[in-house]
Amino acid sequence: MKFVITRLIVWFSALLLSGNVIAAPSEITLELPQIETSQYHRPYVAVWVEDAQQQPVKLIALWVEKPDWLKDLRRFWRKIGRSNTALVDAVSGATKKTGHYTLHWDGKDDQGKMLATGNYTLFVEAAREQGGRSLAKHAFQLPATHGVIEIAAEGELGVISAVMR
Amino acid sequence: MLKKAVLLLSSLFLSSSLQAHTLWLVPSHYVLSKPNSWIAVDASAANMTFVPDKGISLNALKLYSPDGSSKAIKDVYQGKRKSMADVQLAGDGSYRLELANPPRFMTLYELNGERKRLMADKQQRAAQLPAGATNVETVKSRSRSFAYITVNAPTDTVLTLQGEGLEISSSTHPADVVAQEALQFVFNINGKPQQHVKGVLSYAGELYRNAAERIEFITDSDGVFRFVPEQAGRYLIEASYSADIASAQADKVRESITYSFEVALP
Repeated sequence: MKFVITRLIVWFSALLLSGNVIAAPSEITLELPQIETSQYHRPYVAVWVEDAQQQPVKLIALWVEKPDWLKDLRRFWRKIGRSNTALVDAVSGATKKTGHYTLHWDGKDDQGKMLATGNYTLFVEAAREQGGRSLAKHAFQLPATHGVIEIAAEGELGVISAVMR
Repeated sequence: MLKKAVLLLSSLFLSSSLQAHTLWLVPSHYVLSKPNSWIAVDASAANMTFVPDKGISLNALKLYSPDGSSKAIKDVYQGKRKSMADVQLAGDGSYRLELANPPRFMTLYELNGERKRLMADKQQRAAQLPAGATNVETVKSRSRSFAYITVNAPTDTVLTLQGEGLEISSSTHPADVVAQEALQFVFNINGKPQQHVKGVLSYAGELYRNAAERIEFITDSDGVFRFVPEQAGRYLIEASYSADIASAQADKVRESITYSFEVALP
């Protein structure tokens, strides 16, 4: 009986582990808040992941329009934009209006490989023409501990919540 | 006492003619994300960092391109308070803007206890020095001002030391300088790190704060000056180095540079 229970536990945890691999992707929800101003332009937004050495490993989303203003996403520009044009072209999409958005990430890096075990940081940066610039970040670990990340609203960014899986 | 006074006076003389104001170049943008962009460059000889006082000639303004080539900048205007240049940056990479006027030779001497000067080098001075001139010394002085601008991915060509005069090198590319991150500059004379280069670090906004918050520094035995920029913004380094030289033209050389750069937001 004891043997069976042990086997069951092993089997069960194996199921959990394998469940991990095929689980739903990580989910990042962010809000572009309504900002009362005479001239509102949609913000440029970048969402990406850096490793423990502060090297970018995955660009999750990029909402921009003209190349002139890409540099205003200061950290994104320095870490990714200025030297990886192909990635920018592949990932970038149009700017978005005020509202809530959900992004999904399969845990793979820009080359399509699963990220190694380790410490990572999620970055969200937003810059608005004739407005401000906000940089939100939160550390997380892989394999994910199913923790929920919450980042308080600040400036150009509303509340960000993420479930890393 | 008298000798000290004379020395002081001569150094005042030198500094008043060469250094009354600090000459700087400040581009409208240090970082760009679109090729063929134009930048506006402001230049002035001024007391406060980036608050213009006197327009200066930009006839010697040059642009060094990522491919190593250089060209004179022709779209310039000299105003009363500041001068301006329009500069177009064609392709990707890092550019160097430099204003380098040719070296000047000045001969200092004493006559009947009075300190005087001549714009002449060692060879020209013999014919011009009055009889009875003493304590004759000829100084070769050169001043250069520069700034780097990067379009898309940064490159290193324009950062390479020329091995001539006073130059700055750093392990951090100018486009990677970020607030709250340690920064170090190596000051080189003729391509080698130089101890005892004197300098002043300042940053924009002096007009709107009581403390100028300038840092005076002197390079260590490795020619290094280290600091951590607390906040993002535009910074200026001015530095100079004087040394005796064995030359047919001068007894002493004085090299000065001013370097404006941007400290980006983290």
